[in-house]
Amino acid sequence: MKKTLPLVLGMLFGFYAVAEFYIPHHAVGTLTDEFRSWAGILTAAAFVLGGVNILQVTWPKIRRREADWEYKVILLAAAGVMLLVGLPWHRLVGSDAKATVTVAAGASAAGPATVIVEAPADVVVQVGSAVGAGKDAGGKPFTTQVEPGEVSIKLSRRVAGYQPQEVKATLTAGQVATVRGDPPMLWGKEGRVFVWLYDHVFAPCNSTMFALLAFFVASAAFRAFRARNVEAGLLLGAAMIMLLGRIPMGRALWDDLPDIAQWLLDVPNNGGRRAIMMGAAVGAIATGLRVILGLERSHLGSD
Amino acid sequence: MSATEQKPAHWSEKLQTFDRRWIFLAMSLAIVIPLFFPLGLPAKPDPMTKAAYNAVESLPPGSRVFVSLDMDPASTPELEPFFKAVMLHLKRKNVKVVFGTTWYSAPPLVERYMREVVEASIAPAGTAGYSGAPDRPYVKNVDYVNLGFRDGKGAIIQLFGSDLRKAFDGRANDGTALDQIPMMSGIKQLKDFDLIVLLNAGFPGAKEYVQFVGTRYKLKMIAACTAVSTTDLAPYFQTGQLIGLVGGMAAAAGYEDLVGKKGAGTSGADVLNIGSIVVMLAIIFGNVVYFVSPRRRRGGR
Amino acid sequence: MPAFAMIDVVGFWVGIFLTFCILSFLYDDNPFYKLAEHLFIGISIGYLMVQQYTDNLHPKLIVALGEKDGIWLALRLVAIVLVILLFVKALSRRWAWLGRFPLAFVVAFYAGLQINAVANAELGAQIQFASKSLDDPKVDLNTAPAEALTSLPGSSPLVAEKLVAERAQRPFTSLDDATTRPSLTPAERQDLAAARGTLVGLDASASVKPGQQNWFGVLSNVLLLLGLLTSLVYFYFSVAHTGVVGRVSKIGVWVLMIGFGASFGLTVQGRLALAIGRAYDVLGRTFSPSDAAQIKAPYVSLISIVIIILGIAGWELRRRNGRGGPGTAEKT
Repeated sequence: MKKTLPLVLGMLFGFYAVAEFYIPHHAVGTLTDEFRSWAGILTAAAFVLGGVNILQVTWPKIRRREADWEYKVILLAAAGVMLLVGLPWHRLVGSDAKATVTVAAGASAAGPATVIVEAPADVVVQVGSAVGAGKDAGGKPFTTQVEPGEVSIKLSRRVAGYQPQEVKATLTAGQVATVRGDPPMLWGKEGRVFVWLYDHVFAPCNSTMFALLAFFVASAAFRAFRARNVEAGLLLGAAMIMLLGRIPMGRALWDDLPDIAQWLLDVPNNGGRRAIMMGAAVGAIATGLRVILGLERSHLGSD
Repeated sequence: MSATEQKPAHWSEKLQTFDRRWIFLAMSLAIVIPLFFPLGLPAKPDPMTKAAYNAVESLPPGSRVFVSLDMDPASTPELEPFFKAVMLHLKRKNVKVVFGTTWYSAPPLVERYMREVVEASIAPAGTAGYSGAPDRPYVKNVDYVNLGFRDGKGAIIQLFGSDLRKAFDGRANDGTALDQIPMMSGIKQLKDFDLIVLLNAGFPGAKEYVQFVGTRYKLKMIAACTAVSTTDLAPYFQTGQLIGLVGGMAAAAGYEDLVGKKGAGTSGADVLNIGSIVVMLAIIFGNVVYFVSPRRRRGGR
Repeated sequence: MPAFAMIDVVGFWVGIFLTFCILSFLYDDNPFYKLAEHLFIGISIGYLMVQQYTDNLHPKLIVALGEKDGIWLALRLVAIVLVILLFVKALSRRWAWLGRFPLAFVVAFYAGLQINAVANAELGAQIQFASKSLDDPKVDLNTAPAEALTSLPGSSPLVAEKLVAERAQRPFTSLDDATTRPSLTPAERQDLAAARGTLVGLDASASVKPGQQNWFGVLSNVLLLLGLLTSLVYFYFSVAHTGVVGRVSKIGVWVLMIGFGASFGLTVQGRLALAIGRAYDVLGRTFSPSDAAQIKAPYVSLISIVIIILGIAGWELRRRNGRGGPGTAEKT
């Protein structure tokens, strides 16, 4: 029962997923969209579950002081910090600061109007099409002249994690509008700290992990790639042509090399890949049917 | 064999077992030195890149394009140059753009691209080395919409194809209701767009778009992928399931050449020259060492 | 553009330092690498959980409950139940079997979607393409539509439009005539001239007379079909690969090897591109001049390298003296 019911459920949804492709009825389409949403929800939940699982696995290692337990503390601490800063604290605390604008008569009642923006130096000020910093190098506030009429003043910061502010003012000739503002810091997934950690920890580490592969490929190229037989020779020959044909130096050495590389891609590669795709498709259909019919049960685990 | 009978190791056997860290050092130099002494060789587009360019060039002004940024920070060296070049191309044609992603690691990257590429001018009037039409900063929810991130692999891509609004719960990433955004009027599914541009770094990506929506809804799609995925996606280009394919940094440099603004793709492709030559030499030298090795000649491995 | 705040400058320094920490793995597994690795994994876990909750679970589970009604609300509640059952699997051994329901749904539903997707895109479209005629007629410049002219080497949508307009005034008498018409700009004429070639260039694909064949294209189509068929024979394991079948499958292996070689060549370039990207970042080449002057990436890189080298030297000394400590545990 503990395995039969889930298999029956799987069978129903599996056959439904196959059949819906051939039924153009609007109601079927809408119901299928709902099930696709379920799939998206469960995929996201699985990621959250995976995170919880890693924490469950890591904590006992720290408690038992296993090898490298100190690094596991760093791992948990980093995860904890990221979860904490990912909460939208600004909504809980209630930070809803708005920019203010005061309009006064200028020295002259004719000519363009003036907009003065008093904001920190790292704020990006946009008044109409004029853009500048909140303070110039001398510490003076941003000042610009505008034509009389409605003018939009936007305050933002060049980095993510701040709530942009926008005010509008209607000015007549010669008036001076003084805008005061400071985009408030946000928390949560678009917050300052969260994005800082993404930009300066996650992104460099993610990129460098993959960049290591360049070095290992070079090492493998010298130590392991041997033309021991005809097949290996063909593989290496095609690799060399592709390596040279796709870089600017290849074209500089021989004008026709890129064309040869493209032909390799278009004819032998596509011929072989097409066969692999067809074979994989037949395999995927067979495996899919096995799963739907309940012949394949490994994903449900053992009793 | 006694100590007196031991022959000194052949030079080829010494070379086969030397410390691989010397190869790492050689690779590092091959990457860093060209940054200071560039070769300056021009990058020309291949036919698949040309086809992608022509697909965008054929768009009439005011078209609407869906761009799926399925990437992570690791793939930015190969995909970001194409993204900047294609955005310049699209903005020159005054095309409305809708962004979305199915990769969890993309959203902050997408936000940065919105700020630095879409809402800024990539090639304002007077840009040195650029003779094409200038572009203008795009305005959020007027010229472009960022729908945000949804997970679900093939299922969510299929939902994009059948009901994009439902997939994103009727809202843009900033919470604005899609019904209140004029440029989203009449857009319900992917086939309502004039072109789909896919930037993909792996799974899910262009392959899933082709499988789950491209063939079913007969969508016009171009894809930019990492070089690794080029051979997997080339058959789709040949069958017309993709109408353009930009594979890797070198191809992105070709797209920059077509658009007329050189960028990180062109300078990166220049560095790629030396790195590729070093790997080729490593393969050749490794095989020379292997073939002259006495052990191989005696019939061993 | 205003200067970066100090905290952002420090952030770039942290990113550069972590980059070299990870690159230190090329020397050996060491404490700097372990630190960066565990920091990265921890940040990734937290990031992932926040992102998935905020962008997927919150709008589709929490917000949707307030917006849906009737049968759609009931269906969304079923999804919530499935999510709860998934978490029960992780939290309770006794009730873990309940987690089979969401797994059964996801695996079977995806399998069903996949069946149609691959049947359509991988089988149907590929078979359709493979069974098309082996002919490769040249594009007749005097009659072909603009779309066909666009796909020619050296051409573009604008060039195609110009060629259509030119031939309406006076038909083309030769390729030289077509590529030197006055409405084409010098750059366009140069592109067309550069694309001339009898094997794969403009001369191979285009003609001014109807009914001409691109014979190299025909040969390529034949080889493409043969490559596909021989590769398929290789993958057919129900018959022993001996005799004629063995020889055909051998050719199939050769075709596959050429494809894998092409894949390998492109993989090498892809990996190199990733390393080039990091080199650009640590040398500050991705910043504007004013930002680069503020961040001083090359100096930070040098300082990071010195710190890591000194640190690894100290760690190696301790390791060789057998004193142990973090990062010196034996690998299992």
